[in-house]
Amino acid sequence: MDFLKSMQIAASGLRAQAGRMRVISENIANADSTPARPGADPYRRKIPTFTSEFDRALDARVVGVGKVTTDKSDFRVKYEPGHPAADASGNVKYPNVNALVEMTDMRDAQRSYEANVNVISATRRMIQRTIDILKA
Amino acid sequence: MATPLAAASAYTNIANIGRIADPSAALAGATGAGAKSDTSFGSVLKEAMDAITETGKKSDTQARAMANGKSNMVDVATAVAETEVAIDAVVAVRDKVIAAYEDIMKMPI
Repeated sequence: MDFLKSMQIAASGLRAQAGRMRVISENIANADSTPARPGADPYRRKIPTFTSEFDRALDARVVGVGKVTTDKSDFRVKYEPGHPAADASGNVKYPNVNALVEMTDMRDAQRSYEANVNVISATRRMIQRTIDILKA
Repeated sequence: MATPLAAASAYTNIANIGRIADPSAALAGATGAGAKSDTSFGSVLKEAMDAITETGKKSDTQARAMANGKSNMVDVATAVAETEVAIDAVVAVRDKVIAAYEDIMKMPI
C-alpha cells in the first residue's frame, strides 16, 4: 500500500536525521577536546553526508547516512603556555568546531526530523480517514 | 470488495437453515461449503487475521528489541503504526459485515 510505503520512506528520513544528530552531538561534545600529546592534532570536526538509495522492496528512493567525512579546515590555536598539550611555542590546538555552526546544524536536523514526523502523522490521518469511510 | 458477497453467502446459509429440519447439520454443511470458496467471509477474515498476526509479530519483535536496547525507536514506532492501521481496517470490515448479517437476521420472515 502506498500509504505504508510513504511512512517507511519518512521513517528512513527520521533515521538519517538521527544519524546526523549523533554526529553533531559528537562535534559539540568534543568542542574543547585538546590533543593527547604536545603538538598532536586534536579532535577534527565530522561532517555527516546523506545518500539517496534505491529500496527495492519499497520501489522508491530512501535516504541514508552516507560516509561521515572530516572537516579539513584549520584548528583553532590558543596561546596557553601552561597547558599540558602546548607545543614548544606555547600554542594549543583546539578542535575546528564552531558551536554556532553546530547549533544551526542541530536546528536544521530538528526541523527536518519534524518535517518527516509530520509526513508520517499526515499519512496516518489519511489512512484513518479512509478506514472511517468503512465505519460510517 | 468481498463484503456484499459475504453478506449474500450469509443469507444463503440462513436460507438453508430454514429449509432443513436439523439446523446444526445445515450450519456445518454451510460452513464447510464456505471454507471451500475463496470469497466466503470466513476465509477472507482468516486471511486478514493471518496478515495481522504477522504484522503484530513484527511489531512485538521490535518492541522487545527496543526494551533490550537493541532496536531503533523509529522502527518500533512505524511497526506499531502499521499494525494499528491493519487491525483498524480489519475491525472496520468485520463490524460492517456483522452489521449486514444482523440486518438480515432482523428481517421479518
